[in-house]
Parts: sequence; C-alpha cells; structure tokens
Amino acid sequence: MNVKRLSRISLAVAAALTVGQAFAATRGGQMVFGRYADSLFLDPVLNDANLDIWILTNLYDTLLQPTNDGKGVQPGLASSYTTAKDGKSMVLTLRPGLKFADGSALTAGDVKWSLDRARNPEAGAWNSSLASISSITASGNKVTLNLKQPDPTLPAALATFNAAIMPQKLFTAAPGKNDAEKAKAFADKPIGSGPFVLSEWKRGSYMVMKRNPYYWKKGDDGKALPYLDSVRFEIIPDDNTRILKLQAGELQLAEFIPLSRVAELKADSRINMTLFPSTKVNSILMNNRPKLNDGTENPLSDPNVRQALNYAANKDALIQVVTYGTGKPMKSYMSSTTPLFDAKQPGFPYDLAKAKALMAASKYKNGFELTVLATSGSADDLALLTALQQMWGAIGVKLKIEQLDAATKTARYRANDFQMRTAAWTNDINDPSQITTYYAVFDNIESVHTGFKSAEIDKLFAQSQQELNAAKRAAQYQQIQSLYLKAAPIVYLYETPYPVAMSKKVKGFFQIPLGNNLFASAYLEK
Amino acid sequence: MHASYVIRRLLQIIPTFLAVMLVVFLLVRLLPGDPASAILGDRATAEIVERTNRELGLDRPLPVQFGVFVRNLLQGDLGDSISLKIPVLRLIGERLPTTLFLTVYAALLGVLMAVPLAVLAAVRRNTWVDALIRAVFQVGLSLPVFYVALQLLSLLGARLGWFPIGGYGETFGEHLYHLFLPALTLGLNLAAILVRTLRNSIIEVLTAEYVDFARAKGLRSRVIMIRHVLRNALIATVTLLGLNIGALIGGAVITETVFAIPGVGRLMVDAIFGRDYPVIQGLTLTFAVIVSLVFLITDLIHARLDPRAELS
Repeated sequence: MNVKRLSRISLAVAAALTVGQAFAATRGGQMVFGRYADSLFLDPVLNDANLDIWILTNLYDTLLQPTNDGKGVQPGLASSYTTAKDGKSMVLTLRPGLKFADGSALTAGDVKWSLDRARNPEAGAWNSSLASISSITASGNKVTLNLKQPDPTLPAALATFNAAIMPQKLFTAAPGKNDAEKAKAFADKPIGSGPFVLSEWKRGSYMVMKRNPYYWKKGDDGKALPYLDSVRFEIIPDDNTRILKLQAGELQLAEFIPLSRVAELKADSRINMTLFPSTKVNSILMNNRPKLNDGTENPLSDPNVRQALNYAANKDALIQVVTYGTGKPMKSYMSSTTPLFDAKQPGFPYDLAKAKALMAASKYKNGFELTVLATSGSADDLALLTALQQMWGAIGVKLKIEQLDAATKTARYRANDFQMRTAAWTNDINDPSQITTYYAVFDNIESVHTGFKSAEIDKLFAQSQQELNAAKRAAQYQQIQSLYLKAAPIVYLYETPYPVAMSKKVKGFFQIPLGNNLFASAYLEK
Repeated sequence: MHASYVIRRLLQIIPTFLAVMLVVFLLVRLLPGDPASAILGDRATAEIVERTNRELGLDRPLPVQFGVFVRNLLQGDLGDSISLKIPVLRLIGERLPTTLFLTVYAALLGVLMAVPLAVLAAVRRNTWVDALIRAVFQVGLSLPVFYVALQLLSLLGARLGWFPIGGYGETFGEHLYHLFLPALTLGLNLAAILVRTLRNSIIEVLTAEYVDFARAKGLRSRVIMIRHVLRNALIATVTLLGLNIGALIGGAVITETVFAIPGVGRLMVDAIFGRDYPVIQGLTLTFAVIVSLVFLITDLIHARLDPRAELS
C-alpha cells in the first residue's frame, strides 16, 4: 500500500465520517429566534407582508415547494405532477396518509377548496398567480387543474405561500359571517399541515410553534420531521438588543443583522454569521415620463441621461460604503438567484468617460438638478445618496435628497409624484414573472410607477407567460433583460443577502432566497 | 372627601375626550399615505388599494366616518386594528398593563433615588457632595434615553449578566426582574428632573422661620426633616411628578423598543408608521384618559399636602 493510496483511503473515511455526522441530527429542544417585528395576520391568502409570508410555510404546507437554492420547485404535499401535452391541464398526485396538525385527514377536497379560495379575485393581493386556472376537480388522491391557457409559472405558483392547503372543515366551522371574518378567527389559532403548529401567540412579544406530530416529511434518521420540539419567536425591534441577546445566549438566531456589524460578528467565535443568498435587489427607480407632475420637463425621460447616471454610479464603492462589502453589483433588474436570470448581462460597470459622453449626447450637456425621495431615518439611504451626490456631481448632476416617512413616500410614488426614489425588492415566487410584471410591464402598476413602457418587452413577456419550452422561455427572458438594460429605467445598484447570526449549535436552518425561514430540518447540536 | 369635586372633574373629562378624538381623527387623515397602501406595500395595484379602502370604510365622507367612530365608541367598540385584524380594545388590554407597570416602576425608582439625594444635596449644600449629585444628574438629563438604555444593557445585561436583555417575563417577580433596567433608565431621567426642584424647595423650607422654631423646640433634625421640611418641599415636586408621568409614557416608546417590551408605546409607533387609524385613535383616547386621571390624582394629593390649595 503506497502513501498516496493510504491518503486516498483516509480521505474516503473522513468523508464517510462527515456524512455520518451530517445524519446525526439531534432531536428535541427549543430554538429561539429573534425577529425584528411580529407577524400581523397568519392567513396565507389574505396576508400582506413579508412578516407573515416568511414564516407561513412552517405552519401551512403547499403542494410543491421551492428548493433551498431558489432555482426550482420540488415535491411537497403532492408527490408528483404531470402537465398535459397541450399545456391546458395539470394533474397532481397527493402523498398517501396526509394529515393536518389536529390529526384529521388532508384530502383532495381540501386542496380544491384551498386553491379555489386562493384564486378568487375578490380575496387578497396574490390571486393573480393562480389566474390561469379555469376549474379544479378532485377525486381520490388526484387533483386536476384545468387551465385557460398553458402556464409555465404554475409549478412555482403552487409552491408559493398563498397556495397553501388549509382544512376546509375547520375553516368553515370558524365563527364569522363571511370568508374574511372566518379568516380572522381561524388565523388566530391556525391549523395547517406544515412542520409546526402555532401553540401560543402573545402579540408584539413572542410566538411559539410546536412540532406537528403528523408532519409527512422524514428526517435523515428516517423518522418524521421536524427535529425540534418547538420554535420560539421573540420580538426584538432594536438591532443592538437582538445582537446582545444572541451573544448572551438568550437567542440562538437573530435576523436582520445590520450589514455594518457583519464583519464584527464573523470574528466572534461563538457565532456563525451567515449571509443567505437572497432575491433582494436594491435600485433607484426613476420617473421615465417626459414631464413631472408639476408640468416641468423631466431630464430622466432621456435614455442617454438614465444610462449616464448608471455608468457614473460606482457600484463597487457603493457596496463598500452601504453594504460593508456584503453586496454584489446588479447585472439585471432581477437578482442572480432568480430562475432565468441571464448571467451574460453586463449590467452597468463604472465608466465615467462613457457617462460623460452620454451626457454630452443628451439635451442636458450642462447638467441639471435632480430630486430623490429617501426613507427618513434610514442610514443606508443617506449613505447611498450622499455617495451618489458626489459620483453624479462628476457628470454635472446635482442631487437633492428629500427624506420622507415610508407611508408618505409610498403615497408620493403612487401618485407618480417623484423624480427618483430608493427601492428594494424581493421575489415571493420562484419565477421571474413576478418581478417582471412589476418592473418591466407597464399595465400592472406602470412598471413600478416609473412610467417605463416597451412594446417589445410587453410582447415578449406575454409570450413567455405561455411558453412551456424551457429553452425558448429562457431566450425570451434573456431578451427582456437586454432590452430593459438598454432602456435603463432604473439605476442598477446591488444585490444584498439576508444576514442571520446564529449560535454555532444551530444546524440545518435555512432562509431561502425568497426569504422564507425554514425550521423543518433545523436542530440544536448538543 | 371632596366627592362632588372628583365627580365634576371626571365629567369634565368627557368633552376633553371628544375634542381630543376629533383632532386626532382629522390629524391622522391629513397625513399623506393611506392605511391600505401602508399595509399592502408599494407593489399593490390601484385597484387593490381602492378595494381595501372600501372594505375598511375609508372611502366614505369624513363626517360619516367620524359618526361611525363615535357611535361605535359609545358602544365600547374601538374598532379592529387594520394591520393585525383584531379588536383595538383587546390589543390595548394586552399591552397597557405592561406600560403601566413600567411607568409606575420607573416613577418609584425615580422618587426613591431623587428624595434621599435631594435631601443630602440640600443639607450639604454648596459642598462637593452637593456639586457631585447635581453634576451627575445634569449629565444624566442631557444623555438621550436610548443611549442610557443601551449602556445599561451592555454593562449590567450583557457583560455582567445580572439582568436579562429585554423581554417582560410571565410572573410578577419576573416582571420586576425583567423591567428593572428599563425602569432604571426612565427612573434616572425622572430623578434628574426631580432632584433639582426638590433640592431647591428643601433649601427654601430649611431657611423658613417655622423650621428654626421647630429646632428651637429641640426636635431632632430627622423628625424636622420628615415632618416639616419634606412634607412642604414635596408639594412642588408632586405637581412636577404628575406632569412628568405623561412624559414617562412618552419615554416608554424608546425604552420599549430598546428593551423589547410589548407595551403600548411600541404599539403606537407601529400604528403611526402603518397608518393604522383605529389603533392610533384608541391609544390616543387611552392616553388622554390616563393623563387626565393622573392630573386629577395629582391635584388631590396636592390638596392633601397643602391645605391652602382649594379644590373648586
């Protein structure tokens, strides 16, 4: 036996041991998670905010589920699905023996009822994701979705929180005259089929989820998940307090760590500072219309100017200043974790000479003054905009910062009464269609109120919404991303991760790029 | 005692409430930004925002909305929180005891710190002891509440581990333990305000003739201090304390955030940012009731301490 072979064997043994360790998940115990704010309303259809969305999947399960890397979907309550050749129907097969957290059976009838409720245009803000469904039939363990037209986004839509399966009987038995009232009563003590069930909720203070003994998914040890007995969410709005509590061992995880403190926590030997890849893109939205609301001429209607502002923004410097090096430059309007993101997109690398040339080619050779809406109290907004003031000063653009509280900022922006505003976006669904309808398609909300309109993009998008051939759909999205980049209706800034600080004992916790916090496979190492 | 006075004062509170409610009702509606947009975020289409406003009854004329609000109020219904979708009364019922606990706790700590130190400063006036006490509280007064809160947390909570970092606990004992640092933060601030006034009043009383007389009678200085000096010096301080209870509840907004305490201060901040009209209105009403009651109680105590004060 030569040395090389020996080392190869020892490597193999070491690898086997590592795998063995990965299987040795510890069962039991409570994990305490520090959240910056409490959930509002735990109904999958009528909820509105990330505060609800990001934990709903622990309580309610969906037919399919997003994968942890954000790139696709995997089986959930449905073990498989098949799409008809003409793309006009989809059949889903439920796993055998599915149960809700109270022990009652989860049937195809519950699935039909839940999806019908979710796609009702009168209910909630999310029904459009299931708009292609014309009718649903349920029989045995099969559910058939009949479609108005082929819909490539449907698997991702079925893996999204609003398509969660709820117990029809329990919901309809809840007190209340109509769906909205019943939802209020039911969401107070929700019963779903997710890995956990809500056991206690003291609003503004804490929430406890107990393990659902009837959960279908198995752990690496062959027994039912989740590993943990319970998860406790503590509401701690102040960033510093959340970090102190984690350092004192009163929490095992703390979310929304300020990016300014990431480096310090990375150096802390007791803490595993994790930056989960996200779908979050940070950009500046520009008003693309020829005139502003007050009737004055808007320089941002000139694509040369918009491109110039993009080239004159030094992303690498901004990433250092605002995100402390944790971000990466945006190359497309969608994040690099979004399916069908085109890795070949060049984005707008910093190029001052090009920016100056573009300004010279525009009507505004001598520069102009520009006003940007910022969120008051946001240190990030101020750091970003004061840096941009200097960068844009180099091409003769004078930037004025107007600070407003979030609700006022939204009101101004909804009324198209702005020239520029800071903005961030995260996807709710594992498909590029959502951000595209908002950012690039005029008809929804005027391309996030920028007023940008491209007939070509509108046409390509409409086609892509029915294109079942994956390669063709990818090509359509590649084109949309290129057209958008050329028109530059927004200032491309950077993508940022989800910063979660964890005790070194925490294993198997995931925050997926959509933001969902997954505790099903999480455990505390002894 | 003065039962008719108390009843008259309580009845006077009613028109005050109506005026407060009308002002708040109009003010929150004058703010730019509507609740539907605030809850739905900036992605919602105009159609969904409009539908939500209709469901919330916010599309109706203001007088109608105010009428509905007053009618519900008379039936003891403050409406449902727009973002949390639960009754405002229940929300306030869950959160108010926490804030009151904190306020009373802070007031007690503040008084317990202020009185002995003020006496000490007054008795040793113009010595280094007096200077030190005044200087420390002067610094305390000028430091922002959140800064003091964070320093206490890092030192006594994180570094020494004597107190939990935030939270509220379940039992009375746990509340006392958990709320000690936040109550101390607010109490220090209050003590800083009280010490100066109290010290000056004590000095004033100490130089009064009746104190000389008491001394001449041969009463011990501790008796003089408690029976004569403090009783009279406290009159001004009680009024000041009453006035500051309102400020204490205001200060709770910051302490509740830093110390993660589920009180009404934090609820109010969230409601304002979320344009949650029913919660803002309900809380304003509650604060108005509390402040009115505190003022009434202050007046009664004042009358007790100072027979010259007439209750009319």
